[in-house]
Order: sequence, then structure tokens, then C-alpha cells
Amino acid sequence: MQEFLSVLTSLAWPCAITLAWLVGEFGQRWTGLPRISFYGLVGFILAAPQLGMLPLPPSGGGTTLLLADVGFGLILFELGYRINLRWLRTNPWIGVTGLVEASLTFVGVYLVADAFGAALIDRLMLASLSMATSPATVVRVINEQKSSGQVTERALHLCALNCVLAVFAFNATVGLWIFRTFEDVGDALWNSLVVLGVSAFTGAVFGLIVPGVLRLLGKLAQDATVAFALAVILLVAITYALGLSPVVAALAFGLTARHRRVAFSQAQRNFGALGELLTVVLFVFAASTLDWRRVWAGAALAIGLVLVRLLTKTAGVTAFAHLSGISWRKGMLTGVALAPLSVFVILLSEHARHAGVQVVEELRAVAAVTMLLEVFGPIILQRALVWAREAPEVNHAP
Amino acid sequence: MPLEPFANSAPLTFGVELELQLVSLSDFDLTPASPDLMHLLKRKPFPGNVTPEITESMIEINSSVQTDYRTLLAELVEIRDTLVAASGVLNIGIAGGGTHPFQHWSEQRISAKPRYQELSALYGYLAKQFTVFGQHVHIGCASGDDALFLLHALSRYIPHFIALSASSPFVQGHDSGFDSARLNSVSAFPLSGRAPFTLNWADFADVYFAKMERTRIIKSMKDFYWDLRPKPEYGTIELRVCDTPLTVERAAALAAYLQALCRHLLERKEAPPLEDDYLVYNYNRFQASRFGLDGVITHPKTYKQIPLREDIIATLDLMEPHAQALGSVDALLHLAATASDGGDASYLRGQYERQGSPEGMVDAAIRRFRGR
Repeated sequence: MQEFLSVLTSLAWPCAITLAWLVGEFGQRWTGLPRISFYGLVGFILAAPQLGMLPLPPSGGGTTLLLADVGFGLILFELGYRINLRWLRTNPWIGVTGLVEASLTFVGVYLVADAFGAALIDRLMLASLSMATSPATVVRVINEQKSSGQVTERALHLCALNCVLAVFAFNATVGLWIFRTFEDVGDALWNSLVVLGVSAFTGAVFGLIVPGVLRLLGKLAQDATVAFALAVILLVAITYALGLSPVVAALAFGLTARHRRVAFSQAQRNFGALGELLTVVLFVFAASTLDWRRVWAGAALAIGLVLVRLLTKTAGVTAFAHLSGISWRKGMLTGVALAPLSVFVILLSEHARHAGVQVVEELRAVAAVTMLLEVFGPIILQRALVWAREAPEVNHAP
Repeated sequence: MPLEPFANSAPLTFGVELELQLVSLSDFDLTPASPDLMHLLKRKPFPGNVTPEITESMIEINSSVQTDYRTLLAELVEIRDTLVAASGVLNIGIAGGGTHPFQHWSEQRISAKPRYQELSALYGYLAKQFTVFGQHVHIGCASGDDALFLLHALSRYIPHFIALSASSPFVQGHDSGFDSARLNSVSAFPLSGRAPFTLNWADFADVYFAKMERTRIIKSMKDFYWDLRPKPEYGTIELRVCDTPLTVERAAALAAYLQALCRHLLERKEAPPLEDDYLVYNYNRFQASRFGLDGVITHPKTYKQIPLREDIIATLDLMEPHAQALGSVDALLHLAATASDGGDASYLRGQYERQGSPEGMVDAAIRRFRGR
């Protein structure tokens, strides 16, 4: 019996991923909604606290977290590769937009959490996590829709920007939590800044070395997918070992690789089949960490947070739409497109948990917010792209 | 509806239209950015004019009607600078070149304009494959008869314009072997080719056009995709064989060369055009688009084989007095240098060698268009 159980356990993940993929494919075909929404739903339903098919993630995170991180790393590399730093110079309003929408969101969420009577540290945690837009969702949905245009381009750039800001604010808050005293604000900020800096530096070093090696191999015109994928896996492992931020490191890797351009060939969008596969793992894993009891308990606050976040992001981006060279309508849709949040938050809090910071577990609203946005984030983003007429018709519901 | 009368315009005035590529700076593929770009350009006064094209990854700019090469060049440079500034705001690249070297026609998005939707429905994949980028030059004509005379007299010089502007060596990721592969896409259309031979406007409008209209295959002059076609509402003829060059400077020089040639032809010192001139037309056109400046053409009157490069340089020399009179000597010098040093097609092939990928080639084209 014991043996039988362990066989079942070892089958759980492969079965869950296959099921999620199938539901994603059929669901997308029947409804026209993004595949990743279905992956999230399947992960949530099969998770330990719900149907109990998937085992609870072991305390060390286990291979699934590592796989999810690699999947996330690949997506962040791709995001970094699509960021054009020169654009931020020629059109400074993009950067201003990013700072304003993220800060507005921070303040807005902080106030709402306060109104719900959350503790100070909880308010800070919620506020800093809410600043981010989930890069995994943004990149996946944009690729799935084959969308392109200003809403697409700006959503990518603002997403990268607000993620870095969120990692910074979150690390600083975690620092505060560890010190348990507000006299150490300076130290907490400084520590967070150092982690960001070292992570970015590590990523940048990869961004210099890998293209250099490829150039030595003289295979520029050929497929560089394997080299970049291996490098991302290695980078994620290193950040694990050193306690750095895999998010910032992978982003910096992509950025540096882009600006030391080794021209990409078409095949490398999404990292092909490998990227596809790891995305399923990533989204199923992220949703499987959620417990319906927590989701239910935090539902009211979560709905408040999601709404205020949608509002502040939309307002922050719309305010600078004209100055930054797009129509008010596209500005508003860009703000709406920044709605996705979940995977990013889940990975960040998983890492905090493994670092011994249990605080996020106590934030009852986080589970509900992530569940809401895990399913609805991709749908909202898809709608924004469709309304902006940036996604060709064949890839979505009318 | 019968063909409208030929509007008279001042002889030898000219104007240029350029179809330009909109390129993503992330992967250097074409990107459907024209709606965003048009929105941004509407906000400031724009020198000349800018219009959307059949696919959303293309825009067309045109100069106003000009008499002088220098003011034409100045206007095109101003348009170019405005476009480059706008493209900076939107994070896109703008480039010349007759084809995008690796775009896939199946991914192109057809513009929402009803006319383009109709064309797409009629021509199917031809419409999407027609994601090619050309330069059109208009020359003002005093009368319809003059227009037809120039149109047929110019047929002998068509290979010059093909070779000097050729900038489309790559198609679908591979070197096509042609200097202007774009022209092959144009030739696929049923109403492409040359205008019927007549030198009399009344004959053209009341007999040929009227018959064609009765067949119901065509509705207006727009349905003809000829290399050179009359445009009665403007009172011009329109040269349509040129690839969009990589720079506006070359575009202006090509227009000035055409202006000088027309001035020369209108003196009517050369043997008058005949239907038989067209015996060699298609083959000469092929030589120019396949081999560019290295092509060999057959003279329509003497049947002598002439290296195209020699013929161009000799003709440019012959045009000198006209260029003096028109103020476009610099333009002809620019083209003479192009003829001897190699044109945009060989520049692009060189960039492919150096950068190792078609993406690197597009990057080089974007930088060349900027002119800085």
C-alpha cells in the first residue's frame, strides 16, 4: 500500500501538467480565452488543500519550485531582451509613467489595506507586491496573441520597470520584518539595494559572456536557443545558491544580451517547446500553492485591492499618455494591461518562505488576490490587447 | 465612368512618394505600427503628406509638387527627420529597401481601410506578398499627348531606374540572387507590365480605356499596375519601377534624374518611340532587376548589347546641360558615384556578410535611413 501511494505521488505532477495542458488547449479553442488562465485553474483545483491530487510543496521548495523558477527565468530573459533602454532615454515619459503608476499603486493599496485594518508590516508587504505586473502572464499572453503595437510595447517596458521596483520595495519590507524595528529603515533599504545590484551584476556578466561564446562558435545566424536556455538555468541556480533575486538577474541577463546584440532568430521566441512546457509547470505550480480557505477568508479585501490596483495603474498610465505620444484610449488600455500579478507574487513569497520569512503566509489577502488574478489577469490583458486592435483576430475570442 | 480629362500641369514639375518599412527594434521583423505612428504624426504639422498602406507595417510619405531638386531634397530630409523623431517616441525603426529581408507574408496584417480589404479578398496571398516597398516619381506634363510621348520614350531608360534604386536582394530570409526581387512580386499581378502603345490621348482614353472599362475588369487607372502610368487627375506620369532606396538623398537624386531625362526627351531630338521598342523591354527589365548595375541591356533601336553601368554613366553625362538648367548637377553626381561604386543592393549584401544575419542587415538599413 505504501509503495502504491508513493507511485501515485510520483505520478501526480506529470499527470497534473498533462491535464493542465489538455484543458488549456481545449479551453482556448472553445472559449478563445488565454491558455494560462486554464493552467492556473487546473493547478488550483488539483492542489493539496483542494482535491489533494498534488502533494504540498516540500519545505525546501523541491524540484518543482526550481523548474518553475527556470520557466520564470526564461520568460524574464525574454522580457529583458525586449526592453530597449535607449527608448527610455529618447522618450523619458515612459520612465515617468512607470514610476508614477507604481507609486500610486503602492499608496492606493496601502490605504485600502489600512481601511481593512491590516497591520503596518502587512500593509507595506501588500503595497510593495501590488506594484508589480506579472511578467510571466504579460509575456505569455502577448506571445500567444501575437500582439504588437504601443499597448503591447509599453506593457512590456512598464512591467519590467515595476517588477524591479516591487522587488526592491519587497526586499526592503522583508528586511524591516527581520529587524522588527523601524529604526533600521536605512539598513533595510541599503540591503535591498545591494541585493538588487549584485543580482543585476550577475545577470549582466552572463549577458556579456554568453554572446561572446556564441560569437566564438561563429553560429550567429543559427539557433542560439539552447545556449541561452542553459545559461538561464545556470543563472537561476546561482541566484538560488547566493540568495540573490532570480527575477532581477534574469532580467539583467536579457537586457545585456540585447544591448550586446547577437541577432535572434524567430525560433527563439518563447524558447520554443522548452518554454512552452515550463510555462505549464510554472502556472500549475503557482496556483497549487494556494489554499481555498485562505482565498475565501481574504476575498473581500482582495476584491478591494484588485479594484484599487486596476484604478491606480490605469490612472497613472493614462495621465502621461498624451505626453508620451499615444492616444488617451491606448494609454488607458496600457494601464489595464498591467493588471496581471499572480505568478510573480507567488514566486517571490515562496522564496521569502524558504528564507524563513513566514509573513506572507499570514497575509490572508495575498492568496485571494493571486487566485483572482491568476485566472482573470490573462483575460483582462487579452481584452486590453484586443480592444487596442493590437492582436490579430484569429487568436482570441471575439 | 469615362476616363477624366488630362489635367494640365506645369511641365517638369515633380513629386516623390516613398513606401517605408516599420520595423520592431526587438527582433527587426516588420511590425504593424502604422496606426500608432499616424496618430502621433497627426499631432504636429507634417511637411508633405503621410498615408497608411495596404499592410499596417508600411507607411507612405510623399513630397509636395516641386520644381527644383534642392527644395525637393530639403523637404524629403525634413520629412525623414520628423519620422525618425516620431519613431524614437514609439520605439520602432523606419527603413527604406524594396523588401524586408525575412518577413513572412502570412503574418502581415491588412489595414482596416475597405479598399485594402477588397484587394486582399481579390488577390489572396498576392496581396500579402505585395508587402514590398517602392518609390514612385510623378512628372508634370503639359498635355495628355505629351504624357503618352514621355511614357513611351522613357521605356528605353526603365532599366536605369531599376538598377540605380535596386535595394531588395533578400526575400523570406534568403538571398534571391536578384538586386530588385521586389519587381518579381509586382509582375505577379494580372494588370502589371507596360501601357499599350499609343501616343494620342484621345485614342488612349476613348478607345483603349473605354474598352477596358466595358470589360469590367477595371474601374479606374488605379487598377493598372504598370511600370509607368499616366495619372490624368494630377496631369502627370508616374514612374513605379524603383525600389525605395535606403536613403531619401538617393530618392531625391532619382527624381532629379527623371526630370532631366524628361527635359531631354521633350526636345524630341531622339528617334520617336515605336511599338517595336517593347520587343526588348521585358528582357532589359529582367536584366536590371536580376543583375542590377552589372546587367547587360539590348538597345531597342540598334539591338546592340550594352553593359547597363556604361549606359547609365553615358546618359548621366549627356544630361549634364539639362541638370545645369534645372539645378540638379549634384543629384547626377550622386548617381554617377552610385553607378560606379555599387548601389543599395550591394551595400545590403555587404552588411549581411559583416553582421552575419538578416536582422543585422535590417539594423544597418535603419541606421542608414536616419542619415546620422
